[in-house]
Amino acid sequence: MRITGELVKGLWRENPTFRMMLGLCPTLAVSTSVVNGLGMGISATFVLVGSSAMVSMVRNVVPEKVRIPCFIVIIATFVTIVELMMKAYTPLLSRSLGIYVPLIVVNCVVLGRAEAFASKKGVWRSVLDALGMGMGFTWALCVISAIREVAGNGTIFGYPVGVSFSPPLFMILAPGALLTIGLLIGLINHLSLREDGRR
Amino acid sequence: MTGEMFISIIIGTIFVNNFILSRFLGLCPFIGVSKQSGPALSMGLAVTFVTTTASLITWVIYDLVLVRFHLEYLRTLSFILVIAFFVQFVDIVMQKKMPSLHKMLGIYLALITTNCAVFGVTVLNIDMFYPRGKPMAGGLGMAVLQGLGAGIGFTLAMVLMSGIRERLEYAEVPKCFKDIPITFIIASLMSLAFLGFCGFSV
Amino acid sequence: MGQMIRFGLVLGVICLVATLVLAAVHEVTKPKIEEQARIEREAALKEVSPGADTFKAETADDIEYYEAYKGGELTGYCLKLMARGYGGYIHMVAGIDKDGVITGVRILEHAETPGLGSKMTEVKPGEEDPWFLRQFVGKSAASIEVKKNIDAITGATISSRVVTDAVREGADKLMKKLGK
Repeated sequence: MRITGELVKGLWRENPTFRMMLGLCPTLAVSTSVVNGLGMGISATFVLVGSSAMVSMVRNVVPEKVRIPCFIVIIATFVTIVELMMKAYTPLLSRSLGIYVPLIVVNCVVLGRAEAFASKKGVWRSVLDALGMGMGFTWALCVISAIREVAGNGTIFGYPVGVSFSPPLFMILAPGALLTIGLLIGLINHLSLREDGRR
Repeated sequence: MTGEMFISIIIGTIFVNNFILSRFLGLCPFIGVSKQSGPALSMGLAVTFVTTTASLITWVIYDLVLVRFHLEYLRTLSFILVIAFFVQFVDIVMQKKMPSLHKMLGIYLALITTNCAVFGVTVLNIDMFYPRGKPMAGGLGMAVLQGLGAGIGFTLAMVLMSGIRERLEYAEVPKCFKDIPITFIIASLMSLAFLGFCGFSV
Repeated sequence: MGQMIRFGLVLGVICLVATLVLAAVHEVTKPKIEEQARIEREAALKEVSPGADTFKAETADDIEYYEAYKGGELTGYCLKLMARGYGGYIHMVAGIDKDGVITGVRILEHAETPGLGSKMTEVKPGEEDPWFLRQFVGKSAASIEVKKNIDAITGATISSRVVTDAVREGADKLMKKLGK
């Protein structure tokens, strides 16, 4: 695949959230505001890129039977680095995201890419793949967060939207997240079915 | 731990803050394994066993090792390793002693390692019951209880969803909503229903 | 057997490297993290005891509190309180003057339902501090009670009650301990 292809595929065609259904737990939990969504997306991307690079570097050294625990240790290290940095430099965001920061360690996107890609391909490709997946994850998060924040709180990035209305609270709560992602995936399926039909 | 606290944790973890429908922990298997009741129940019981035992082990490690040596920052690393090895251990034991169950669960058993609910509850236990470096009285019991409740709540959601999806097979779902999207929408209705538990106080 | 040893060794080496890296990052970030906690704590203390400039940490049995001083003179006390709310524990700081009248309440940490219980820290646009907590100021700590002189947050009676009861009981305990 062309080099740029590795980067771009994570954005739409193989989007981790909408296409591959990976990393749903943090996506739904954290998408209550665009700031949270962006923060989680960037943190997860950092972990993705760092761990994919590292896994790719040691892929020939690690015996196959112990590869999963080794990958887990590498990922956990990057997650802890993010945890500590956020606590030190962005304490409010760290508090907002709560347990979902350490939960990046079991984010299916991270382990999934390490296992399916980085353990088999070169470092440069792995980094691009990770970056693309991370950005895809981030923009999906932002879209969902934007919908929920506007509909459920009447604000975006914390600023009031301008039109005053009484926001349906459940959008910010759990049901709203599930509804939003259900409708979005349905919409995307519909769009791609139409595209397939045209070909 | 008082009786009041006991009930509060159990009801809270199973219903009010249901791990799947409220905290969104354990969604991957929820979407993936909830098509039929049999596997859903087996998965739920396996997860419950792991969450309860992992809560016990990780609490003890945190209390006796991490805090004592000021290594709290190794929490994420050590907890996930404990879970990974424990699931591996369960896998091996189950293969020898309960081969049919092992076959039914298949790859999903290993996937319990990356189940957000398992790792999530161990971290939640520490955040809730070990505030500011000192464990609460009866903290170990509370942690194990919350682990048990997390698993039971997970199983409950799984079984409920599988019951609905089995019936959904006979319904006419628009093509673009088939399978995953309609499951999410149903889950959102279930979650809305569970929100009703929010008024409970013990 | 040799294979097992090799596996263990690889895993062990990776764990060792990981631990060393994390220890290093921890050392670098520790001072900043502690600094953040200190700044936040001091800001909260100053907010609940307006006018005070120094605080002295004290403990009386299991009550953790601060004595607030303005220019060397004792003006009141700040209580560190923890109450079991809806989503977990609510950590707060309450300031009272020497007669037990509340001078301010601040929530430090909570996990209450977003949009409902979390409204207790909500600041209305155009205002400066959370309206729910402002109700406490000027009232005698022994007298505060939801429905009597504190308005609960709509749809979050439990969170409101938990905070109110915690402040009242905590202040009562402290005042008794100090013999007032």
